[in-house]
Amino acid sequence: MAPAVKIRVCDLNFHYRNRQVLHDVNLTIPSGSITAITGPSGSGKSTLLLALNRLWEEIDGCRVRGRVEIELDGRLQEIHSPALPARYVRRKVGLVFQQPNPLPMSIFRNIAFPLQLAGVRDRKLLAQQVETALRKVRLWQELHNRLEDDGRSLSGGQQQRLCIARALVLQPEVLLLDEPTSSLDPETGQAIEELLLNLKNEMTLIVVSHYQDQVQRIADLRFTVREGRFTRLPAGRPRSRTGPAL
Amino acid sequence: MTGQRKITEITVTWFCWLSGLLLLAALVILVGYLIRRGGPVLGLSLLFGDTPPLDALLLRKHVFDGLYPALAGTLLLIIGAMVLAIPLGIASGIYMAEYAGGRTKAVFSLLFDILAGIPSIVVGLAGLSITIFLHRIFGERIMPCLLISCLALAYLVLPYLIRTTQVALESIDPVVRRTAPALGASRLQNIGRVLLPHSLPAIIGGIILATGRCAEDTAVIMLTGAVASAGIPRSLLDQYEALPFYIYYISAQYTSPDELATGFGAALLLLLLCSALLVLALVLQRRLTIFLLYR
Amino acid sequence: MGDRMVFREHLFRSAAVICGLLTLAIFCFLCVLGLPLLQDGHLLSLLSSPWAPARGLYGIFPMLLASILLALLSLALGFPVSLGCSLLITALAPRRLRMLLIGMIRLMAGIPTVVYSFAALFLLVPLMRTLIGRGSGLSLLTAAPVLALLIVPTMVIFFVAGFEKVNRAHLLALDALGGSRVQKIIHILLPGARPALINGTLLGFGRAMGDTMVSLMLAGNSTAVPSSLADSARTLPAHIALVMASDFDSMEFTSIFACGLLLYLVTGLLMLLMRLPGRSPDNES
Repeated sequence: MAPAVKIRVCDLNFHYRNRQVLHDVNLTIPSGSITAITGPSGSGKSTLLLALNRLWEEIDGCRVRGRVEIELDGRLQEIHSPALPARYVRRKVGLVFQQPNPLPMSIFRNIAFPLQLAGVRDRKLLAQQVETALRKVRLWQELHNRLEDDGRSLSGGQQQRLCIARALVLQPEVLLLDEPTSSLDPETGQAIEELLLNLKNEMTLIVVSHYQDQVQRIADLRFTVREGRFTRLPAGRPRSRTGPAL
Repeated sequence: MTGQRKITEITVTWFCWLSGLLLLAALVILVGYLIRRGGPVLGLSLLFGDTPPLDALLLRKHVFDGLYPALAGTLLLIIGAMVLAIPLGIASGIYMAEYAGGRTKAVFSLLFDILAGIPSIVVGLAGLSITIFLHRIFGERIMPCLLISCLALAYLVLPYLIRTTQVALESIDPVVRRTAPALGASRLQNIGRVLLPHSLPAIIGGIILATGRCAEDTAVIMLTGAVASAGIPRSLLDQYEALPFYIYYISAQYTSPDELATGFGAALLLLLLCSALLVLALVLQRRLTIFLLYR
Repeated sequence: MGDRMVFREHLFRSAAVICGLLTLAIFCFLCVLGLPLLQDGHLLSLLSSPWAPARGLYGIFPMLLASILLALLSLALGFPVSLGCSLLITALAPRRLRMLLIGMIRLMAGIPTVVYSFAALFLLVPLMRTLIGRGSGLSLLTAAPVLALLIVPTMVIFFVAGFEKVNRAHLLALDALGGSRVQKIIHILLPGARPALINGTLLGFGRAMGDTMVSLMLAGNSTAVPSSLADSARTLPAHIALVMASDFDSMEFTSIFACGLLLYLVTGLLMLLMRLPGRSPDNES
């Protein structure tokens, strides 16, 4: 039996100012998979992520046309429908940026922050959720006794895992990652990739990555973008023409 | 050709260095002169005269021959004007940076630029005209007073507050700006919990600069209620004394060397007050840059 | 909760609208109160006739002339110094001196006008009295250097910001070609920062036109039309400050609203001039 559809993008066009960034994108992504998207910089791969959680609405000069349906709370829903609040979509569809971006507050507050934004006040519940999230990203052992330190005092790899934990604490159904390992050394990058493989059981992951990234090999589905047009690639094997064989 | 080039090189270089030197000399002469004339009188008796300081501070006795009433008047002006201007200025700055766009923003931008350019004497004149209006409506009770001056000064510093808030918010790194919305924050939550705390040093710097502007402005207050001798105002509807007005008054009306010495003391005091505020604002802004580099 | 959020967002907009309306309100206030003078239809004669209340003449021509003369004079003194100093900061001074100069300029920007004028009253006025050789030493020539000192920091800060926006790549290119610092100034910095130089000068002119204390305390306040720069003269702001003490209903009093209106229009016009296409500082780089 084919797995359920998690995300369906139909004829998506994305404009920034006078430039068309995405052209007629059509994608279907099954539930519980890892999708890798590759392409030269400026080709529109990160833009797709912005379109999937409506973050483009925060950037002046963006326009979107087309349908983006995501299964949220058991129902396939058009995320741009006016009835659906952007905040709801963004909580269900997490996004991790390329540059680790911990906010200038303690490690604990960094992770508890999204919950507080959603109105959670209960200290005990917060502490519990923070611990669960930190355990998922394998940071609990290292950090459980320095939760009050500034989030920015961590190393690059720790910061990126902190940011993933911060996205996970909302228990999103879809997690978008924009080149999550590109600013890290290869070893730390590999740790993050293993982490993604584990998360696959709980959510659907979309990763924008470099050709040479390891992520390619753990992906179930691979797309390449060139000038805003998406092409599906066969999964599992790196394409010999564009990337070095590993 | 090389000869001519050499002459140009030397002329331009000399010209620039002379300009810098000229300014430095002007500053040194000015400050040095004020310190030489005002320095010796600087002390508690400059503020309180013969009145015991504690009695003066607790308003048990009037101070007749000291600067205390003028200093107190200036502080009251600052507090009053800032209480009025800060909420309005920061809220407008937030609107400009976070909500306004397109033509609306351009129109407001122009209006605030004009506002910033209005000479302070015109702001004072507007304060005076409001007083006249109120006087015609409410009768004798409304005269130029502390309240009117605070309103006019608040108006004068509004553009500073709007602009610093707007610029501080707009110069936040886009990555930081998008972090909280990506985690499901509403626009208001993003402003309140991330953007404002992030730009706080710059905004406070702007507030301090505005405070300095309130402390030094003479044109506004001389039209709206500052007088040479009034004691500590008992209410917002009273007339009051202020340091800059006192300096102006002494320059025109001094009758004895003692009064003149007090005038120099007042000038030095005001200079110190404004420089201190300025240095404080710069330190905060510098910390902002360090804070940004560290991030 | 949703309602409360919308309410707060409205609050931000209302604040901006209030501030914007206040800008226009001042203009209306001045118009309404100056109406008696404008109504009689001699706006032009107001601007061109002398000030002689005894003869029923309330013209503000002498003040207008004095304001413009003083502003131009202080600009003539202040502009070269500002240009030199900002070039020194941007291109010539070593790093540490540069920081020191910037600190000095900022400190000067914070010195109260009334303090400048007070010191000049005892330093400069006696000197001018001897130099001019007649009168009290209070004249346009006395006020101009002090006013120049007042507008120089504004102009330098504006100029330096303009120079810093000049394309780095062009500077590097000239460096690579073996150009000297002075050539960098002449060929890249000055042409590149032209809009900023013009706008900074306009800003300085506006500040000079609008300043009250320097001219009030140092220019002498004579209501006669100045026949030379060594004459005592009264500027528009000083006129407002001096006449406001008279009776609320008199024609003299009404005339100061015309002065206020004139100052408002001049500074507003300067702001518009600064926004001419291609002049906005955002269009640089």
